[in-house]
Amino acid sequence: MSDVTQATKTVAIVNTQAPFSSAAGKEALDAALIFGSFEQTISLFFIGDGVFQMIGDQNASSIAVKDYLKTFSALEFYDIENIYLCKESLNERNLPANFHIDNIQVLAQNEFSQRLHSHHVIYRF
Amino acid sequence: MQNTLALVVTTPPNSNLTTSAINLVHAAIENNVKVIGVFFYQDGVLNAAKHLSIPSDEFQTLTQWQQLNSRYDVPLYLCISAAEKRGLTDELNNHEPSSHELSHEPSQETSNIDSVFTVSGLGELVELTSKAERVVQL
Repeated sequence: MSDVTQATKTVAIVNTQAPFSSAAGKEALDAALIFGSFEQTISLFFIGDGVFQMIGDQNASSIAVKDYLKTFSALEFYDIENIYLCKESLNERNLPANFHIDNIQVLAQNEFSQRLHSHHVIYRF
Repeated sequence: MQNTLALVVTTPPNSNLTTSAINLVHAAIENNVKVIGVFFYQDGVLNAAKHLSIPSDEFQTLTQWQQLNSRYDVPLYLCISAAEKRGLTDELNNHEPSSHELSHEPSQETSNIDSVFTVSGLGELVELTSKAERVVQL
């Protein structure tokens, strides 16, 4: 793993699915945290139903799934600070900007797209 | 220098995207692109299930992965945490035997993961992402 830390690649993880209907959100977060622990440059993007993952005051235990949302608070310990959310996706779903973590940047589609395209590798979940 | 490719498979064996992934590996090899590894994540880990029996008139995904590994030395990395979440493990005998099992011969099998797959973790994904010139996710 020696040359991993020398890499200059930037990685984007795009979340497109709501939190609890599949494991996609949790597995995207797991991947982000590992990239962070290897000191890779990593950004998180939320678009479409993915924006539901960021909404506060959710009660996962009422549907018998593991609540991975609280793990998002670990992002800051790995210096993962680039977290982008699509404004239009939020508006289309009539969701308030009530998020369970800080540091979220809500971007209009154009800017969201530009940020995403500035990354070398894009993973979609 | 030879071009390098890393592939991330996130779809189960019966998905056409998995077939596309296998075709992509073949095309890469034919075009002198070195496939430095295929990483199996999310439902893609189900590709490593040893005991699935697919009807013979269907695409034999596991056979294809086995051939890519044995003929072309394509490394196949399995995310073990995603695999265990879906019932695949290489530590089958580590759980307490149930009364049902006790009444039979103890199973010698310790893994339901096919042996061509290398049990690994997300650190391998970081490594592949960092090393490969190009990364493709299916």
